[in-house]
Amino acid sequence: MSRVTFQSLILKLQNFWAERGCIIETPLDLEVGAGTMHPATFLRVLGPEPWNVGYVQPSRRPADGRYGDNPFRLGKHYQFQVILKPSPLEVQELYLDSLRALGLDLTRHDIRFEEDNWESPTLGAWGVGWQILLDGMEITQFTYFQQAGGIDLAPISAEITYGLERLTMFLAKQSSVFDIDWTPGVPYGAVRKQEEYEFSKYYFEEASVDLHWKLFDSYEGEARRCLEAKLVLPAYDWTLKCSHAFNTLDARGAVSVTERVGVIKRVRDLAVRCAEGYLEARKELGFPLLKGQGQRAEGRGER
Amino acid sequence: MAEYLFELLTEEIPAWMHTSFTTPVEAALQTLVKELGSGVVKVDTTPRRLILFLRDLPLREQDRELEVKGPPKKTAYGADGNPTPALQGFLKKQGATADDVIESADEYVRIRRKITGREISEILREKIPALIESVRWPKMMRVGSGEYSYIRPVHSVVSVFEETHLPVSIFGIASGTTTVGHRTLAPRRFEVKSYLDYKQQLELAHVVIDSHLRETVMVQRALVLSKEVGGAPTEDASIVAQWKFLTEYPGIVRAEFRRDYLVLPEEVLITVMRVHQKQLPIRDRDGRLTNSFLAVLDNAGDPDGHAAYGNSFVTNARFADAQFFYETDRRRKLEERLEQLTHLQFQEKLGNYLEKTKRIERIAAAICKAAGIDTADVAAAARLCKTDLVTEMVKEFTDLQGRVGGIYAREEGLPDNVWQAIYDHYQPVSIDDALPRNAAGAVVSLADRVDTLAGFFSIGAKPTGSKDPFGLRRAAQGIVQILLNRDRREVKIGVDTLIDIGLEAYGRPPADNARLRTDILAFLEERVRTILEASAWQFAYDEVAAAMEAGWASSLTDLVDRVQAVKGMRDESNFLSILDSAKRIANITAGHDSTVVDASRLEHDTERRLAKLADVVTGQIGEMIKERHYRGALESFAAMAPELETFFKDVMVNVDDEKVRANRMSLLRKVGGAVLKIADVTKIVVDRRDYRP
Repeated sequence: MSRVTFQSLILKLQNFWAERGCIIETPLDLEVGAGTMHPATFLRVLGPEPWNVGYVQPSRRPADGRYGDNPFRLGKHYQFQVILKPSPLEVQELYLDSLRALGLDLTRHDIRFEEDNWESPTLGAWGVGWQILLDGMEITQFTYFQQAGGIDLAPISAEITYGLERLTMFLAKQSSVFDIDWTPGVPYGAVRKQEEYEFSKYYFEEASVDLHWKLFDSYEGEARRCLEAKLVLPAYDWTLKCSHAFNTLDARGAVSVTERVGVIKRVRDLAVRCAEGYLEARKELGFPLLKGQGQRAEGRGER
Repeated sequence: MAEYLFELLTEEIPAWMHTSFTTPVEAALQTLVKELGSGVVKVDTTPRRLILFLRDLPLREQDRELEVKGPPKKTAYGADGNPTPALQGFLKKQGATADDVIESADEYVRIRRKITGREISEILREKIPALIESVRWPKMMRVGSGEYSYIRPVHSVVSVFEETHLPVSIFGIASGTTTVGHRTLAPRRFEVKSYLDYKQQLELAHVVIDSHLRETVMVQRALVLSKEVGGAPTEDASIVAQWKFLTEYPGIVRAEFRRDYLVLPEEVLITVMRVHQKQLPIRDRDGRLTNSFLAVLDNAGDPDGHAAYGNSFVTNARFADAQFFYETDRRRKLEERLEQLTHLQFQEKLGNYLEKTKRIERIAAAICKAAGIDTADVAAAARLCKTDLVTEMVKEFTDLQGRVGGIYAREEGLPDNVWQAIYDHYQPVSIDDALPRNAAGAVVSLADRVDTLAGFFSIGAKPTGSKDPFGLRRAAQGIVQILLNRDRREVKIGVDTLIDIGLEAYGRPPADNARLRTDILAFLEERVRTILEASAWQFAYDEVAAAMEAGWASSLTDLVDRVQAVKGMRDESNFLSILDSAKRIANITAGHDSTVVDASRLEHDTERRLAKLADVVTGQIGEMIKERHYRGALESFAAMAPELETFFKDVMVNVDDEKVRANRMSLLRKVGGAVLKIADVTKIVVDRRDYRP
């Protein structure tokens, strides 16, 4: 087995899921806290259309930043996100096969599925599932989505989220995330450490609180305007920008406990309306992906 | 005798939920085999399997006779003696004929019919799917497009009766006779013929279906691995209880974390390991924490050391975070954090945590005053008790609230009494939990709880049904547990006074408080009953009820003494005398309140003797009650029984002369009322046969 690098892991996971019929999407070009917020997950899990997708998503969590000092924590990390809709009965086996594809002999490791349910108050979404422990270490979140944007889902989607840095660290037996190889000869730290430092400094110390409150209000206003105009996808983009503005303010310690609940509710209200609007729009389109080779037709000329 | 095997293969069920399957299902199956006349039930689970095994079943249900009540006799037969349409309709509905009608003593027609027992297999096919599908898991998921809700999706069903497939269907999934082995070690599917075959083949396929056996294996392994490094596993029944449901093939691995982390508070290390990783720390011979710990393995061993490496890795990562929080937190004293509490809301209408703190301080001071406890340590602890809620450590490890504050207070050099009180003030969290270790902790705990109760009741948020989102039942239960205690930490205060102090802390006019006081008292009364009837006290409900009738809210320890006296007496042979006397007096004097006897109106010798006796004995009883010698008081009361007996035989109470009658009633009241301050013994339910010589 060749040396495990960050990049080889991504390529292997992409290939594995591509071979199993998934679209390989690209990361969302906006700041999000998790792959779940990508429209390829949050919106596509709604309604009856089948959808199988895999993609990398850089996930920004301003409050998790540690100035590049902590060997395990990052303000931005990368997830590999898979959605299988409807969730096939053998989904756990498929997942284990993906680990085998990474070169793991599972008979010589300890794999366990321990309860870990997921809930996102900002997205009005929740699901039940597990954290998957490889030799005691959490490497994947597995969720059976039950609700998104306050809407009961049918069919149920399975979401598999790999923590790419963690998994690489573990497979390459490195004790600091900054020491893993992005590709041989190029350490992760050399690529990302400056970014971790600067963004930690920015989010914790420099981000303008006034500006971000204003941005939050403006983004929210624009999202509402888009919703009125029945432009749900732009509306959802602005909703995500609201969410990131909130995360920035939160990291800056600018959101009091009392305000917090209200702000989360404002984001959730947008997310719920986006979800409803999206479902409505798909219905008007006649749920294009339901027809025959649905997935291939996707992406071009469906409108 | 027949046997039945059932297995539902699903996906990993949360460890803490297994008993919400095994308990009701086992109970239902026990009822079933009892009805069938014979049978042995075994219900077991692994993370992925729900297993039922029934053996020694009869092949057929016993035939039985069934008696059914029909229409009244007078409408059942016409003048000609023939069945009326009413009776005919009834018989038709029952599938019976006129020959089934039997002689009956009452005014109804009754029929008795012989019901032929059904085949057991038929009964199982009917009962098992319904039983399995109706399990209420604490958190369920919808499967597929909402076809069904269950703990996780169902994969396959084994149903084997007497080595033959007995077809059943669970959520539309048809049963078969095959199952699979361990997920990664032996994932193939195979045929099973019987329970024994199933169990043996699974064992070869790396699955141990007996959860007790899995636990035993893991506990043994934990001991051996600990011994290898000269230590022993930390005792922790709740973690060990979960272990067996985290693995199909029981294994344990030992791993180490970096020694430097041992400088972190032990509570933090343990919480990280047990709550987040379900690991158990190893202690050395002196009971000190070592840097070795034990973790679960769904595998017999760890041939390449991967699991030891992985567990070390993740534990070190978590400790790195904990250390970051610990160091950040220690830059500020608890005192300096008070101001931050204004940003932390307790409840929208009840203010922030600084306001709660101020109330706790006032309540704690009032409790000290009422109970005669020194205030200095209590005041210091009350002031700081909530400050750890704004530490990084508690934000991350919420289970450690209170304890983190206590640890930081200890490190700041605060007196033992103070840091221990902060540390313990959330205790007791359950009926088996320890009380705060000193009186200051007990007072702060009481103050915190009564503030919560008074606050939530005053905004109309009392618990309804099984819903108790603010943990008010637990708060009330803790109050009762603390007030029942009578060692050096005893807080001598009545529930009634405590509630008044709590309500006053909200600064409302006392007039508003009357209804709330009644509500909160009733709420606590329930907890008192529950605790005295359950847990270690083991009092019978009627003993508790009898003693509570004589008052409870001013002192719970006094209540316990009185219950104890009643309990002690009820097994004595003269208890029936007490009971009968009390009941007779209560019946005859119903509605009469006076206990003032006019000696000049006593006519009868017997009457005068009883009056004299009553003077002496009720005086004695009064003295004994004052000294809380309740048992003695009840015995003295019992001693009056023979004289009372004579009185009832010789003297007529309900005479025409109103004044004489009233005087006699007053005499009886005086006798009967003597023990009413201890208990209303008429509430005791007895089986008279127990008292025959």
